[in-house]
Amino acid sequence: MDYKIIPSICSYCGCGCGVLFQVLDGRLTGTLPMKTHPVNQGKLCIKGWNLHEHVISDKRLTSPMVKKDGQLQEASWDEAIRITADRLQAIIKDHGPDSVGVLVSAKITNEENYLAQKFARAVVGTNNVDHCARL
Amino acid sequence: MEEQIKEWPEPFSTTGDKTSTFDNLRDQVNAWLKEGKVDIFLGYKMVQGHPLPHCFTKENPDETDELIVGKARYSLEKMAANIAAQRPEIKIGLLVRDCNQRALNVLYVWNQLNPDQVETININCCPSRLKEHGDCSYLEPQPSGSYKKQVGIDNNMDVEVAEEFSQEERFHRWMYEFEKCIKCYGCRNICPVCFCQECSMEHNDLIATGTVPPEVPIFHLVRAVHMAGRCIDCGLCEDACPVDIPLRLLYRKVNQVVSDMFDYKTGMRADQSPFNILGDEVTLEPKPI
Ligand code: SF4
Ligand code: SF4
Ligand code: SF4
Repeated sequence: MDYKIIPSICSYCGCGCGVLFQVLDGRLTGTLPMKTHPVNQGKLCIKGWNLHEHVISDKRLTSPMVKKDGQLQEASWDEAIRITADRLQAIIKDHGPDSVGVLVSAKITNEENYLAQKFARAVVGTNNVDHCARL
Repeated sequence: MEEQIKEWPEPFSTTGDKTSTFDNLRDQVNAWLKEGKVDIFLGYKMVQGHPLPHCFTKENPDETDELIVGKARYSLEKMAANIAAQRPEIKIGLLVRDCNQRALNVLYVWNQLNPDQVETININCCPSRLKEHGDCSYLEPQPSGSYKKQVGIDNNMDVEVAEEFSQEERFHRWMYEFEKCIKCYGCRNICPVCFCQECSMEHNDLIATGTVPPEVPIFHLVRAVHMAGRCIDCGLCEDACPVDIPLRLLYRKVNQVVSDMFDYKTGMRADQSPFNILGDEVTLEPKPI
């Protein structure tokens, strides 16, 4: 029998509420608010309370998907990145960098968000960057 | 951690009539694990500067040196019930404050935990008129702000005082509180005595699911009705409510009715509840009002 309580931070939005994951015999079974966390002080919204669900969900994607013959099919990272890079380059060449937009997310870290805007501005060459918190 | 120990004010008693000091608590849990009285022990441990619930095991009994009592209060009994649902053969020990003990009694009554598989060590509890100093997160409830006092329900009110408002005013005041609800389900999720597989608060015929804000007051009243004979007034729901709805007061009223009707004091003992009688004969008579 193995029961663990693992402190973490909610990945659903930028607030950063403290959560505790309950792990029973290696399986994530629940999320609790961390009582002593300065941000949420023992409270969570409905997303935080269900944080464990997407991790164990059957619907969770576990590999990149590429649309072939009108259907999404599992692909390797190399293949998916190659196709995305080729398509982006083609679109930028034909229609200009402002035909591309980058949408980032509160579910990723500050550093990843920084990288994404850097990618938009420095690599693609557009100021079309926006964030889910503003959508 | 040292601080936690120093602040510990009074001895606590174990399941029997033994009394003991803080060091003895660790020794005792250590011994319980080593001699196999329990397979696991649910207590608290400092992790990354936070007192967190922790499962001490017989595989690693000397970790009990790090056992603390913890000011933050989590529902260890709900964790025990979750573990027991998967592994009913396991013997579980846990630290209990008064509220944990009442919740355990309800979980026994409703067959969510088997008392033969549970061992407890009692520790100091919330403040009350009898006990000025308490060691938990729900220290004295926060005083309500002036606007809330003017238009809503003060969380510190007694049921009797809340009932002094005229019916119309009372309704408006409660609606002010309910309308703040963000439908996080935190009150249900954190509650030690909410264990139903299918929850009425997620039943589409009773309450619209998948939309916010919730339908008020039905969302709160469905839960209030379900708390009859179940709520042990631990306050965890109110503690978890992001918008400070006086849930405890609501459930206190419900249980006052239970007490008046059936003379049943929820959680005080692990005996028959008037709400889970099996068989075709009703033996519990409602008390004449
Ligand atoms: S709200 Fe009612 S139905 Fe839902 S878990 Fe609690 S007691 Fe059960
Ligand atoms: S006070 Fe709230 S959390 Fe505690 S038993 Fe009652 S309903 Fe559940
Ligand atoms: S905890 Fe408060 S806000 Fe959340 S669902 Fe319950 S009453 Fe509503």
